[in-house]
Amino acid sequence: MSFLTPLYLLGALGLAIPIILHLLHDRPKNKQPFGSLMFLDKTSPPVDRKRRPTHLLLLLLRCLALLLLAFVFARPFVAVDNPADAARRDRQWVTVLLDRSASMQRGDLWARAKAKVQSALGRLGPGDQFSLIAFDDATASLAEVKSWVGSASEAEVNDRLERLAKPGFGGSNLGQALVSVGEAIQETQSEADEQPFAKREIIVVSDLQKGGSHLDEVQGYEWPAGVTVTLEQIAEDDQGNAGIEQVASGAPWITAGAAPSFRISNSPSGIGDELEFLAHTTAGETFSQKVHVPPGRSRVVELPGDWVGKPVERLAIRGDAAAFDNQFHFAPVRRQTVRIVYVGDDKPNDAEGSLFYLANAFQPSSSLDFQVEAVSGRSSGPLPEADLFVIGDAVDDSLAQALGQAIEGGVTALMVVRSPSQAANLGQWLGADGVVIRDVTSSDFALLDVKLPDDPLLAVFRDARYSDFTNLHFWNYRELQNLPDDGIDVLARFDSGAPAWLAARRGRLLLMASGWTPADSQLALSTKFIPLLYSILRPVLDEKTQSRQFVVGSKVDVSQFNNGQAGGGVTVLPPGDGSTVIPVDTIFTPAAPGLYTANGSGWSETFAVNLPPAESRTEPVRMDQFKKLGLPMSAPAAAPAVIEAAKKTETHRLEYWQWALAAVLLFVTLETVLAAKGSRSAEPVTT
Amino acid sequence: MEIRSLSLRARAVVEGFMSGLHRSPRTGFSTEFTEYRQYSPGDDVRFLDWKVMARTDREFIKKFEDETNLRCTFLVDFSRSMEFGGDEAGVKKSDYARTFAASLAWFLTQQRDAIGLATFDRDVREFIPPRYRQDQLKTILGRLETQPAGNATDLCQSLEKFAALVGKRGMIVLVSDFLSPLDELERCLSLFTAAGHDVRAVQVLHPREVDFNYEAAAIFEDMESGQNLILDPGMAREAYRQKMTAHNDALDAMFSAQGIPGFRVTTAEPLERVLRRFLEERPARAVVRQRRSNGRAAA
Repeated sequence: MSFLTPLYLLGALGLAIPIILHLLHDRPKNKQPFGSLMFLDKTSPPVDRKRRPTHLLLLLLRCLALLLLAFVFARPFVAVDNPADAARRDRQWVTVLLDRSASMQRGDLWARAKAKVQSALGRLGPGDQFSLIAFDDATASLAEVKSWVGSASEAEVNDRLERLAKPGFGGSNLGQALVSVGEAIQETQSEADEQPFAKREIIVVSDLQKGGSHLDEVQGYEWPAGVTVTLEQIAEDDQGNAGIEQVASGAPWITAGAAPSFRISNSPSGIGDELEFLAHTTAGETFSQKVHVPPGRSRVVELPGDWVGKPVERLAIRGDAAAFDNQFHFAPVRRQTVRIVYVGDDKPNDAEGSLFYLANAFQPSSSLDFQVEAVSGRSSGPLPEADLFVIGDAVDDSLAQALGQAIEGGVTALMVVRSPSQAANLGQWLGADGVVIRDVTSSDFALLDVKLPDDPLLAVFRDARYSDFTNLHFWNYRELQNLPDDGIDVLARFDSGAPAWLAARRGRLLLMASGWTPADSQLALSTKFIPLLYSILRPVLDEKTQSRQFVVGSKVDVSQFNNGQAGGGVTVLPPGDGSTVIPVDTIFTPAAPGLYTANGSGWSETFAVNLPPAESRTEPVRMDQFKKLGLPMSAPAAAPAVIEAAKKTETHRLEYWQWALAAVLLFVTLETVLAAKGSRSAEPVTT
Repeated sequence: MEIRSLSLRARAVVEGFMSGLHRSPRTGFSTEFTEYRQYSPGDDVRFLDWKVMARTDREFIKKFEDETNLRCTFLVDFSRSMEFGGDEAGVKKSDYARTFAASLAWFLTQQRDAIGLATFDRDVREFIPPRYRQDQLKTILGRLETQPAGNATDLCQSLEKFAALVGKRGMIVLVSDFLSPLDELERCLSLFTAAGHDVRAVQVLHPREVDFNYEAAAIFEDMESGQNLILDPGMAREAYRQKMTAHNDALDAMFSAQGIPGFRVTTAEPLERVLRRFLEERPARAVVRQRRSNGRAAA
């Protein structure tokens, strides 16, 4: 038996009072008037021997009553796990959200996190529901106990917890995890024969790092009633961290031959400002240089010139407090080829022709190599393969047919209508008869009126800074007549109302009613030209320019490897000894950082997987921010031992103090009866 | 105290006593010579003793004993402490004291003496100057029969006040329990003895006040102050008796020093015997006084 408030047992010392009073004597009842008390001194009351037996019984009752009162106030309980008591207790549902993101690899955070989970188990009583959910970028249920049965359930949960030997390498999307748990609680309905939950508590065991927590997802979320969130922060002693990530890896505008850049960031609580930047090559060489990054700042470092060209497979930083994110796996970008076929008779060097501007618009970059090829419209040869056809002239039937098939097959084609002779081709590709093209020569110039700014093709101009087309003048344009009503979107019109840029939904055929040569317009020389062409080519570029840099948990589309022609039977070889080969259909989700190799039939490509860059931002979120986000925070928790004691013994404690109180009342009643009887039987004092 | 009427009680007590002769303490113009005094101018020449003057050639004034009746004033304690008693051990002290005073008054009235009464507790409450009248006794008995209203006793203050009220010299019979501090009492009593009053003190005590003969423990309540004291009589008895004896001894010493005859009676004593003792004491005192006077005159 234990006592919740054992200090009250000191009240039993009050037993001394009745004992002393009984040892002395009780106060005489009779009064004796006397002439003068001037000769009398106070004497101690004597013991009345005749009344001692009655007094002993009274004394016993009084002592027992006092003892029981002290007992009641001390709140006795017996800590027993009795499942039968569960029905009488308030059920609670405790959900523990355990952070297993990469940042939990720091120091002893993982051991501390597990200890926190185990202390949370101590709060559970029989009948409670318990959920253990691990989260990083996604949530995963580790253990689910519908009705807690004490030590058996605890062993089961501990077993599941032990299986999770160490944290993963993912990010820490706390916001999403919280919302998903909240939704799960909201959707769960208590069964009819179950006692409803009096309390639903979410205990977050995490380092509560700022990076990647996505707490904005919690903002505005309406929490179910009765849910409280307890934050158990385990990295309050954050010593700062430095991280490395690649800047704009694989962006198409990075010129060919440019050295890759890396951003090295140091958290505000970083321990130093001098970091070492290292590069490891496949040949085992290691290069290093000092990088000065003050705490709270970041710095972009270009790979030094003498490192470029070396087979660098891994970059690293050194000099910060936590090492879990100091490695950066690097897969060199493999240049992809984009083939553009110009159908027309323009000379490549003719500044009056369209090809000249087209060829100059596509410059090779670090990841893309553009091959611009010209084919005459009257060519009888086969149509070369291309990612983009630009048709700038009338095309013969055979070629037109091949082009039509290519367009039907999904190849992007841009038809620049430059002469009425293209009407037949246009009618053929659009599947419409009677299309007429009429030259329009403006006496002044025509302006462009963008009609569908939300079209993906023109989305690049949506920003107000780029949406001004008034400086773009069109001297000559063609008016397309008898176009079919359906299947064609007019993206832009000339100020005369004639369609200027059109998109046919059949395949991906784009029409421009005016060329970009200086004879037709200012388009080729305007700032709109190159963005427009890249915008036309975007679907192709999106396929071709897939980065070889991924983060843990991201979806790697293996079908885009090998220049978008991966084919079937792709396998992925994870980093390590090469013994494991993972067959992948389309999407592969890496779980650990490292250099992976994707193998297809006749091709092999390496891609790198790194930690999410946000994981490097380990400084904790300020606790007041959680309150601002409307999180139903629980009050500061009492000591787990107290909670455990209170929880386990609630029903027993109630029973005990009630019985003890009843006994007190019984004793007091008996004492009253006996005392009254004793006073009646006592002889009156006579003088 | 089976007779309820105070007058009947007094009469019953007095019956059987012979009337006595009282001497007046004042000298006056009567036939009985008391002493000579040297003539001084202003004295009435009628009282010159011509024979002595002729014989010795000195002028002496003859002084005679006053033959007026005795002037007796009863000073009776009416405080609450006098209400103690009234049990099988003895009557109430107040009843005893009043009966004593009434008996003596009756007796003196029979002797044609002037009687007066003063009652006191903290102060003098009633004062009936001594007279010899037809209804004086009745008035005094009536006053004695009233119930006391006072609380505490202040004997000395009452005596001081009474000294201012009382006129001619006479007998003063002080009836009290004298259960109060004696610090100032001697000085106050000396006011009367110095003025030539014949003071007699009767201390009335209840037998339980003397021997403190109680058995069971009780809350003892002071009848004057209302103060309570829980005590066991067996344990307190010895100390009480010692203090009471010491108090009485101090009182006796005080009376003796002032030449005051003191009578200590308990309410268990028969009143007739007490009255006889009281009356027997007076001639003896008178003889002593007479001898002193004669002695001085002879000188």
